[in-house]
Amino acid sequence: MSVRAVPRATGFTRIVRAAHGRAYPRLIGNFRDKTWTVYEILLPLLGTFAFVYVYKALHAPDRFVGYVIMGGAMTAVWMNVMWMMASQLWWEKKDGNLELHMIAPCGLLPILLGMSVGGIFMASVRAVSVVLLGSIAFHVSYSLTNIPAFVLVFVVALIGLYALGVTLSSLFLVWGREAWHTTQIFIEPVYLVSGIYFPVRALGFATGMIASVIPLTLALDAMRQLLYPNTHPKLLALWVEIAILAVLDVILILIARTSLKKMELMARREGRLGQES
Amino acid sequence: MARAVPVLAQPAPAPPRSTAARSVDSASGGFWLGWKIESNWTDPFRFITYQIARPVGGALILVFMYYAVAGGRRGPVLGFFVVGTAFWPLVVGGVQATVRGVLEDREAYRTIRAIYTAPISYRGYLVGRSLAGIAAMGSAAVFVTLVVGRVFLGVHLTLTPSSIALTVVATAFGVGGILAVGLVSVGAAFSTSHESWSMPEAIGAALYLVCGAIFPLTVLPAALRALGAGFPLTWWLEAVRRVLLPAATPRSFPWASTGYVFAMLAVTTAGALVLAASLFAYAERRARRLGTLDKETSF
Repeated sequence: MSVRAVPRATGFTRIVRAAHGRAYPRLIGNFRDKTWTVYEILLPLLGTFAFVYVYKALHAPDRFVGYVIMGGAMTAVWMNVMWMMASQLWWEKKDGNLELHMIAPCGLLPILLGMSVGGIFMASVRAVSVVLLGSIAFHVSYSLTNIPAFVLVFVVALIGLYALGVTLSSLFLVWGREAWHTTQIFIEPVYLVSGIYFPVRALGFATGMIASVIPLTLALDAMRQLLYPNTHPKLLALWVEIAILAVLDVILILIARTSLKKMELMARREGRLGQES
Repeated sequence: MARAVPVLAQPAPAPPRSTAARSVDSASGGFWLGWKIESNWTDPFRFITYQIARPVGGALILVFMYYAVAGGRRGPVLGFFVVGTAFWPLVVGGVQATVRGVLEDREAYRTIRAIYTAPISYRGYLVGRSLAGIAAMGSAAVFVTLVVGRVFLGVHLTLTPSSIALTVVATAFGVGGILAVGLVSVGAAFSTSHESWSMPEAIGAALYLVCGAIFPLTVLPAALRALGAGFPLTWWLEAVRRVLLPAATPRSFPWASTGYVFAMLAVTTAGALVLAASLFAYAERRARRLGTLDKETSF
């Protein structure tokens, strides 16, 4: 019996195949075991509602409820970036899959790209669910007139956030148990400086600008400007924020690429790839 | 001079005589292990930074939400936020440590078979892990957030020996409530897959809504108010606020006396523990029947 030789994929085809191969289990897994909808959508949605009731208790204007809903939607993306991108290589190390990823003839970047695709699907489902269910439950109205700009902000933000996720994943590659705890540190403090539940301008202009290193900050401010054009206390002009986000994307992608190479080399040299802690 | 007896020549240690003693032994073992896992992952400086960053970050989110609306004015609701965010990390720490105890043993260290089949009380072990999480992740948060609230935000806290004693008593019941939530969460983790890692955060977020952690229950719709009143955590936070904050602070149960709040705290904690033990037993039996107790899942 002869074995049919499969032609070796090279270049872009290999990247696409590897990314598809890694995205596949995430996408299919979501449909096979649907319990994630409870923990990823329903319960976090209730957490978002809690912040809505804080504003209700403070008798805040209605737009603040909209702020929380949009913030809740973006927390879905951020949590996905932190748990399913940044710390994923650490999970893989603990699961014993990392060695397989490392010897695969495609490199780590296409694998992380595949993870991002699967992650973006989950995060988008959760974000859209938060916006839809939250808006219906609290009768939130938006004044969105520039939908293409809104979509552009969301896409540019996603690229930046997932590039940041890849950068962090390279750090987590060489870390041990501190990876899990570091993920935890990136939750509340990041929500605070990004203005997830309040306009970032409340932190002051200087703090807001420093916090803009995280794409979440400017993305949320830009989205809120588009949703509440006349009342939102903006940090910067809309198109300036979009331009900064685009520049951030490029910088973060370059950093991600370099950092991943460096950390991979360091992890190989110091023998930390298969080291569990 | 007495000669040292070689280890192998010593008699095997006698097993504990009662189930209670075995549970206490298992809980202390679980606590010791949990404390090591929670605290020795880094150097003391980073550990302390980690202990401070999260709770202060959580408290300041609410403070800035408040200032974004109130525009710099201060009011009694600020104290409500500070006390809620100070004590809430105990809930997150306790539930997270219990669920992580199972998930790490199952998915990461793959020790669940050895631990589960060992002659210990598995429930006691999980209770120990939960208490370690409460101590490691929550205790500093309470102190740091209250100090930040008092010193930087000007929140008036009643810190007399009697108020501190009552806070400790209320928190002891609160810990009972946290253990109950932790056991139920573990029961759910027995039958769920990889996303169980995010389950404690999700459960914490959901309880945030109904337990009056960051706003008075009076602003919730009636059905959610009734649901919230069923949780010991709600009565615990209400009791702590009544003890630590001035009378002008908003309350989740404005119609109830402080004595009634403490009585309800005791009753709901007892009920929650009984219910949690039953649900855990059911989930454990189901997981054993389906063979999911040690089933690894990861995608």
